[in-house]
Amino acid sequence: MINLAQKEIAHTFGKFIVTAVGVGMLLGIVMIMMGVYRGMIIDAQVLLNDLDVDLWVVQENTLGPFAEASRVHEDLKDTIHVIQGVKSAEGITFQNLQLPLKNEMVRVFAVGFDPFGDIDPINPNKLIAGRGLGRSHYEMVVTDKAGFKLNDKINLGRDIYTVVGVTHGTVSSGGDPLVYISLKDAQELQFLYSNARIRNDRARGINSVNSHMVNAVVARVQNGYDVNKVAQDIRRWKHKSVYTAEQEKTILTKNLIKMASKQIGMFTVILVIVSTIIIALIIYTMTLEKMKEIAIMKLIGIPNSLIIKMIVQETVLMGVLAFIAGNIFAHLIYSKFPKRVVLETPDALGLFIVIIIASVLASFVGVRKVIAADPAEAIGG
Amino acid sequence: MSMSKQAIKVENLVKNFGKGESLVEVINGASFEVNKGELVALVAPSGAGKTTLLMMIGCVEEPTSGSVWLGDEKVYENKWLTKETRKIRREKIGFIFQAHYLIPFLNIIENVTLVPQTNGLSKEESEKIAIELLEYFEIEDKATAMPSSLSGGQNQRAAIARALANKPEIILADEPTAALDIKRSVDVVKMLKKIATDQDVAVIMVTHDEAMLPLCDRILKIEDKKVVSSVAPKDTHIL
Repeated sequence: MINLAQKEIAHTFGKFIVTAVGVGMLLGIVMIMMGVYRGMIIDAQVLLNDLDVDLWVVQENTLGPFAEASRVHEDLKDTIHVIQGVKSAEGITFQNLQLPLKNEMVRVFAVGFDPFGDIDPINPNKLIAGRGLGRSHYEMVVTDKAGFKLNDKINLGRDIYTVVGVTHGTVSSGGDPLVYISLKDAQELQFLYSNARIRNDRARGINSVNSHMVNAVVARVQNGYDVNKVAQDIRRWKHKSVYTAEQEKTILTKNLIKMASKQIGMFTVILVIVSTIIIALIIYTMTLEKMKEIAIMKLIGIPNSLIIKMIVQETVLMGVLAFIAGNIFAHLIYSKFPKRVVLETPDALGLFIVIIIASVLASFVGVRKVIAADPAEAIGG
Repeated sequence: MSMSKQAIKVENLVKNFGKGESLVEVINGASFEVNKGELVALVAPSGAGKTTLLMMIGCVEEPTSGSVWLGDEKVYENKWLTKETRKIRREKIGFIFQAHYLIPFLNIIENVTLVPQTNGLSKEESEKIAIELLEYFEIEDKATAMPSSLSGGQNQRAAIARALANKPEIILADEPTAALDIKRSVDVVKMLKKIATDQDVAVIMVTHDEAMLPLCDRILKIEDKKVVSSVAPKDTHIL
């Protein structure tokens, strides 16, 4: 039996392909949106995975350094260290900085840690040049995305830092490039006021400022100890909020990017609906263009099923081609985006199923026209 | 087994459009017969219901009342006697239009084989029939050409070949010569007459062109919403 869809598409091949590619670009944007969401999830976990700690001890009644302001004394690490089951504990700071790069400022997320401590957030597998921090002051490890090179000098505050190492693929949950500095430098940058501020504070009766603060104490638990039990002990006796690695991951991936993911989800749903409407309109227009032929076919006795099959096959093929074009388009452009975009096969498969269902639904507008077509319209005019 | 020559029989056929005060009577009590092998011209002024009558015989337009036989089968008596009117069209009737109305995305042989294949014939069987018809109409070399690449006359012959491909008992031609010059019009009507004779098919041809009437066997004229049969004039100067 003659495949009418195949013949019709062959007859209007160029137009069909251009239309499918147009819809495909829209689907490509849908894929990119999904990729941005996946990228956010992965970005949010980079620092957590690199730190590889079991417990996050933060200011009481706060959700920790990534979700809200948290300050604890640096020496809390010593108190935590001696709790039964704790293998190691270190203070750690996080802050956003603006670093001068040529004629512009680069926004980075700085991690301050003790380079001689037991917990090092720099993943050696991600260090692509130089070394980790080896001194207590004025050294910096940067991620390649920040734009700095090994041995670059960076003016920060009143000091000059030297880039001693470059990492790859290290970003904060917000997508900012990570830089690593010593805890002492970080504390000075974050907690130590200028002389003028200190004089001003003294005049107001504020006599001492303790710069030995950190944003969190992170700890590893000895083998054989229950992480949740150790966390419970710290909560009870030290009056701090304590989160396990899993809980901290949940705070980062669920709480912090919840709104962003909803936003992206909304955009994705709207784009899929728009794509479906566009496919439906295209099929409707294509059907209208061949109403005369459809009326003739009905008049000479061609059953509706054969004509409907043609419409549905064309629509589904349009969806499949648009999906392929969208995939190619997304893979061509995703690396150009400033933030991480992760294109995952399950997402693509999910979108494929949605597009096929949407195409079948879209074909109904054409099918309705076919059913309603009057064969008598073939006569005259 | 019946060997009736009757191809079409219409009795007291009525067709009204609209209802109440807006009711329009188009055909009111038409009765006539057309036999196999006959070429009959259907004539009437514009708007008199020629095409409507043709569409009722062709099971496209539902009459208001009356009876219609196609061959020995009664297909209408105040209602369609079958739900498969489209199947009747596909198996018993061939349509020829004013323009060729070939499907533009199918080539000539695909246009001709579409109905036979839909009727269940294999691709090979359908193509055999199609090639014979295209040879008959001397356009076999255009079998794989698209309609857009053929002349108007070649397309019209291909359209007639399509109408014959299902070996119909009846051909309904709606003003097949309207767009043609006198010479080509004569050629087409002679062709229809030859088909009627050779294939033992009843052909009803709607026409406004009185010059074509001597080529027909008989004339059906719509007068006062009824159909009157008369012998075709024997003015042979164009024959």
